[in-house]
Amino acid sequence: MRHAAAASVLALAASAPLGVVLQAMPAGAAAAEPVRTHEVVIQGLLYVPETLSVRRGDVVVWINKDPFPHTVTAAGVFDSGPIAAGKSWRFTARKPGTHSYLCTLHTTMKGTLRVE
Amino acid sequence: MKNFIITVAATSLALLAGHAAAQAPSDAQIASIVVTANQVDIDAGKLAESKGSNAEVKAFGKQMVTDHSGVNKQAVALVTKLKVTPEDNATSQSLKAGGADNVKNLEKLSGAAFDKAYVDHEVTYHQQVLDAIDKTLIPSAQNAELKSLLVMVRPAFVAHLEHAKHLQATLGKKG
Repeated sequence: MRHAAAASVLALAASAPLGVVLQAMPAGAAAAEPVRTHEVVIQGLLYVPETLSVRRGDVVVWINKDPFPHTVTAAGVFDSGPIAAGKSWRFTARKPGTHSYLCTLHTTMKGTLRVE
Repeated sequence: MKNFIITVAATSLALLAGHAAAQAPSDAQIASIVVTANQVDIDAGKLAESKGSNAEVKAFGKQMVTDHSGVNKQAVALVTKLKVTPEDNATSQSLKAGGADNVKNLEKLSGAAFDKAYVDHEVTYHQQVLDAIDKTLIPSAQNAELKSLLVMVRPAFVAHLEHAKHLQATLGKKG
């Protein structure tokens, strides 16, 4: 249910800027891919969704809904540092590949970000 | 002395598991147990933050203060919203006494002996609380939001237990 709700929010978020981008583009111009924003909710020591696939240049926002800090850390690729309770961290995915990440404070927490 | 304290702590939580079979705690009693269990680990964590000699032990203590304070803040907000007054009971009193004994014991120690005693106790404590969450607190909670809070914080106890076990193994190698 949470997935469905998150997906519909994402669909709305993605469709609005898309319309604007297309309208603003001159006829015949090469269609640039619009930047999409994806959300990963951190709750109950889980990253939801656990695996996320995005396109290069997309933005991913991790939202910490737990009552204590977490990190989003893929060694050598990205590291949020501690994200406080109720806060979020925004990251632009630029490096292609499959990046496994974890919370350095609670190493039982694992997630994957695929950048195409 | 350390073994005695661990035994006392284990007994109080085992008592909780046994007690539940006879009489399940009410939501007001569960609220008191949750707040006390977190407070006990906050107190030990503060001591580790200041007295610990190993950097990882100090960092773990600091994290316990942060995490368990966060859980307690959320628990207090929930019981306030639900208008539930935490009710003192044999289990919360026993947890409190066990926590005070642990702090008293730790205060006498220093250096590597302190680190080892603190981490050993953290392993036992988190395992016992986890057992109580699974066998007593979650099954007994009547209010859906209270039950949900317990389910949401349970993985934190799992992660803390793993972390404490890792520290225990690291200190064991050094010793």
